[in-house]
Amino acid sequence: MSERPSLWWIDWRLSPGSLVRETIGRFLLFCLLGFGLLSLLLSGGVSRILADRYAITAVLRAEVPSGEGEGLARKAAALPPVRSATYRDPEAAWKEFLRAYPGLDPLRGTGENPLPGYIEIRIRPDRLTVEDVELVASALGAVSQVEQVLAGEDWLPRLLRAGRLASWACWGIFGAFLAGFFLVGRLQERARAVALAGDFAFLAERGISAGRLAFLRAAGAALAGFLLAAVGTAASGGVLFLSLRKFPFLERVVGSPADLLLPRTIASAVLFSIGVAMLCGAASLLGWSSARSGRK
Amino acid sequence: MEFGPLRPEMNPGARRILSAFLVAVVSLGIFFPSAVAGARDVAAELRRERGRLLEMKEREEKTARELTEALRMEKRSKGRVDQLQERLKRQKSLLSRIDRKVSALNDRLERAEKAVRELEAAHGQARTELRRAEVVAFFGQRAGAGDPWHPSDRERERHFMRVYLAADAEGVARITRAREKKEEELTGLERQVAVTEKKRTREKKVGDTLLSRQEAERTRLAGIEREKKRKEKELKSLRAKIARMESVVSRVERQVKERERRARKAAAGKSAAREPAEAPRRFASLSGGLSAPLAGKVVTRFGHQHDTTFDVTIENRGVEIEAPSGASVKSIGQGEVAFAGAVSGFGNVLIVQHGGGLFSVYGRMESFLVKQGEAVKKGMVVGRLPESPSGKSVLYLELRAGGTAIDPTSVIPLDR
Repeated sequence: MSERPSLWWIDWRLSPGSLVRETIGRFLLFCLLGFGLLSLLLSGGVSRILADRYAITAVLRAEVPSGEGEGLARKAAALPPVRSATYRDPEAAWKEFLRAYPGLDPLRGTGENPLPGYIEIRIRPDRLTVEDVELVASALGAVSQVEQVLAGEDWLPRLLRAGRLASWACWGIFGAFLAGFFLVGRLQERARAVALAGDFAFLAERGISAGRLAFLRAAGAALAGFLLAAVGTAASGGVLFLSLRKFPFLERVVGSPADLLLPRTIASAVLFSIGVAMLCGAASLLGWSSARSGRK
Repeated sequence: MEFGPLRPEMNPGARRILSAFLVAVVSLGIFFPSAVAGARDVAAELRRERGRLLEMKEREEKTARELTEALRMEKRSKGRVDQLQERLKRQKSLLSRIDRKVSALNDRLERAEKAVRELEAAHGQARTELRRAEVVAFFGQRAGAGDPWHPSDRERERHFMRVYLAADAEGVARITRAREKKEEELTGLERQVAVTEKKRTREKKVGDTLLSRQEAERTRLAGIEREKKRKEKELKSLRAKIARMESVVSRVERQVKERERRARKAAAGKSAAREPAEAPRRFASLSGGLSAPLAGKVVTRFGHQHDTTFDVTIENRGVEIEAPSGASVKSIGQGEVAFAGAVSGFGNVLIVQHGGGLFSVYGRMESFLVKQGEAVKKGMVVGRLPESPSGKSVLYLELRAGGTAIDPTSVIPLDR
């Protein structure tokens, strides 16, 4: 009985050089896509940026003492949609105001500070919605010490709509990259199938069905893709983690490095790898099919 | 015997002269009309002297009245001067107060003007600052408008800018209100100063008027004092003359008495026993007793009385009894009419001698119902009081014992 050769990794055996190049390229691409995926997952698109830029200002009455203002800030911070609430006394408000309008300082002949203290409330990125903002604003507005709540009622919906569009754009770009990868991968698979057509015909003459060959090739490509995507995503996660640790300001855009280890993040990365594997397998099958039919 | 002054306003010299005159008349003309036949030349001399004395007395009375009038005018004038001085003092005090008030008002005015100036400057500065702040706000908001990177910060800054501008506008409004209030106060003060100045001018004019009146009054007073001195000098001279005349009359009286005594001695025959002089008696021991001359009330009392009007002390030798007009005057006791005639200042005077040096004098009578030398009894009507539009008349009653006036109310029951 003659020993039948294994068809797993047939391409590696027939054309190792080109496959190494493809693998390196795919790994780099998956690193890039993994980095993008993790960044998008952590930042929620532009939600974190928006949440960092947006704040509700609860202007206190002039007679509210500092202690009371700080107490109010603590209470506001306990609201579910609130990420942080910071009390600023009138002096801090005045300094901040003068930084915004530096020409006013010498005009204030009396030297009195006409500004009251305020509480700056920031919303969680995932709760930055009109409903949650209104919830917080109404809760603050009901407090007698609060004179006015500035929640950007006139521009917040526009801002959120722009944020949604930006997020969709980010995910669209990510999807476009995946689609591009799929197309390029299909072409690569076809090209390799064409290049190895003689070898495949030889195998067919020896009784190996074309279907089995195509399936095994696709399975190998999917497995390789899964591994490459998983490793690439893990590598990009490590880079992201180190970057966030090294450059904390990135946290305001991306998020906390600890979020990388959240189950939902890991699950997303696994799903991403599976998806990539499926794309790789599909690209292999489509490439084989087009090479056999003579289509491009 | 000597009669004292009969009128309250007469000076003592005049009174003494009148008393001497009455005594002389009584002694010479009534007591011994038949016993002095040899002394007709003396009586004639006495009549002449009496005439001269009466004339001098009238002059003295006139001068005394003029002097009294001058004194009254002097007192009144002095009172007016004092009053004017008091008013001037009050006026000066008032002017001083007004001056102080004007000074205080001027100080307040100055302060208010300064405050208004300061407020105007502050107002101008505040308005300038507000305008500049508005410019800064405009350009600041223009620069920050459409900044999507910090929308909440911009929103807060805009709100605070509104607060800032509102505070500045409120500051301007506050200064404006303060300035308007201060200007109102200033206007009120100016009005007050004007009113006070007007009042000061008016009061100063009043003060000047008072001063000129006081000056005129002083001038008048000086004239009165000169007149008073002249009158006093004149009176002094007149009194000296009267004293000399009184001396003459006294001498004549002594002569009459001596002749009377000689006549009585001759009438007594050869017994040549000297009749002792009739001892003075007391009214209480008068036979038949005494009764009131009429029903009335004593309005002027006997003795030294102080006149508050002229601030002088007058010695009354008798009393004045107020009675209905035309009332009958009765003799207080039995006696003989020693004199019935007119005496200057006392009108018709009736003198009744009761013997023993006792005399009763009734003055200010309208008419006599008895004649000189006629005997009268107690309660006999001797005359009437004059009629008066007021329905009241006054009887002057004087009692003399041994040449001394006594209080009629001490011996006759009179309604006081």
